[in-house]
Amino acid sequence: MSQDISEIPDRKMAIIAESLYLLNLLILPGIAFLVLVWLFIKYDNISIGISGCHLRQTFSASIWVGLLLVLVTWVMLSTMNHDSPYTWMIIIPYFVICHSALVLLGIMGLAKALAGKKFHYPIIGPSS
Amino acid sequence: MLYSSQAVAKPYFIAAIALFAVQVLFGLLLGMQYIPVNLPFISFITFDAARLIHTNLLIMWLLFGFMGSIYYIIPEESEQELYNPKLAIQLFWVFLSLTIITFLGYLLLSYATFAKITGNQFFPTMGREYLEQPTIIKLGLFIVLCGFSYNIAMTVLHGRKGMINLLLLAGIVGTTIIFLMAFYNPSNLVVAKYYRWWLIHFWIEGTWELIMEAILAYVIYKITGDRKIVEKWLYIIVAVTLTTTILGIGHHYYWIGVSEYWQWVGTVFSIFEILPFFFMVLFVFNVVNCTKCQYSNKAVKLWALSTPIMAFLGAGVLGFLHTLAPVNYYSHGTQITSAHSHLAFYSTYVMIVLTMISYAMPILRNRKIVNGGLSQRFEILAFWLMTVSMFFMALFIAIAGIMQVYIQRATDLALPFIEIQNSLMILYWLRSIGGVVFLIGVIIYITKFLIAKSNNL
Repeated sequence: MSQDISEIPDRKMAIIAESLYLLNLLILPGIAFLVLVWLFIKYDNISIGISGCHLRQTFSASIWVGLLLVLVTWVMLSTMNHDSPYTWMIIIPYFVICHSALVLLGIMGLAKALAGKKFHYPIIGPSS
Repeated sequence: MLYSSQAVAKPYFIAAIALFAVQVLFGLLLGMQYIPVNLPFISFITFDAARLIHTNLLIMWLLFGFMGSIYYIIPEESEQELYNPKLAIQLFWVFLSLTIITFLGYLLLSYATFAKITGNQFFPTMGREYLEQPTIIKLGLFIVLCGFSYNIAMTVLHGRKGMINLLLLAGIVGTTIIFLMAFYNPSNLVVAKYYRWWLIHFWIEGTWELIMEAILAYVIYKITGDRKIVEKWLYIIVAVTLTTTILGIGHHYYWIGVSEYWQWVGTVFSIFEILPFFFMVLFVFNVVNCTKCQYSNKAVKLWALSTPIMAFLGAGVLGFLHTLAPVNYYSHGTQITSAHSHLAFYSTYVMIVLTMISYAMPILRNRKIVNGGLSQRFEILAFWLMTVSMFFMALFIAIAGIMQVYIQRATDLALPFIEIQNSLMILYWLRSIGGVVFLIGVIIYITKFLIAKSNNL
């Protein structure tokens, strides 16, 4: 019999939240984010301790992911000249560095969740 | 030091550091040949000689570093003295002599003369990238590797068998067996390239990666004290490495003349080659989070925690960036490859050897391992100078590569290689500045070993 998600222990919920953040960045963009949004809406008010912390952090960080990787890249692509090599010399390194940094933050968040500890995403995570 | 035979690691580490400095110096000379700087010593050394020294010394000093690391780790992990410490020292001198002869040959003779003098015409194996060493040197290196494997295997077989020492044994035996490919040089260029990549790929992305993982696991175990969790992660990482690496060789086969299915095989398996580095970062931070890490040598912790992060970026991300066949069609053989190889070699192998040296050298030299010592401060400064400058060097080379791909391959103009070099000049300048900072980092790193014992508190 499958376990109701509200009965999932604190640490497991934290691991799920961090995993969804990473899945959104790596192999299931959009889909993993929607699942994370659903979890956040359903359990944010009742989650305390590390699960609440990781849910809020990953939800906020995922919104920043969208802004930094999708919106900013889209703005650059739509305003810059596609026939100039300089456009690609800016956009490709920006996207790669930004994406890698966000993935590394997610791995560190997942490591904290696995250890049953809280994690605060620097700059892109809510302070409380 | 738990076992006196661990002391054989010391000369290997000293040789590794000395050769590392020479390798970096020649790398800087190479970088300066791209920019209009007319220093007399730069024009004295031809580009091809400097490049041979830069790439071949890298392989040699990393092997010295691995051998030193393994000689240090194996007695502890096997819980007994090294099987034959005398053999280890004898092999050190043989290996050092081979390295110096190779270095002087590249520096003082033309490559053709060096090939003739060393009798390449009787058994031709020279002239292939990374395998440029004379046949007789290759034979000597193979004997050194066999003696090394024998010494380690006998120690492990007579002692405790754990995950770390068995993995190191698998790594060095694999390295030795795969080196046999250096002697196979068929006249068909496609077949020759096919098997040359067996050696290069299965060393760098296979057996060396296993050795790197084992050394990292050992150091993390030593600074956290939790063997169980370290070995659990090591099983996962090794399994992922082997699963992805073997067919990941396909990314070297895209354009050498073999069947097209390699483009699919190489692409699919290479995508997953980033996973071992992903798990390494997760492993290191998970173990550190799960244990009370109170190890006093701050420099070791810095090297050990940074190695997987940098490896993820250099070997993982920059490798992934151009490993897909449709992307590689445009990017192969450009500065993007150079950016990847610089950051990947530094982050995966240079950093792990320096991590191990940082851990073992104070013990080998009977020094105290205490925070805040002058030596520690020098090493931490050297770490930041080397790591940050290498990151930016790789970034500048990658940006140069993007421009090169665009001008040379992606547009209808498709300018020849030499005509686009002026467009990249500013990036070559920035790369050389990065190289100067890196060399300063290396000098500071070496200086830390010269600090008197009394200042090392």
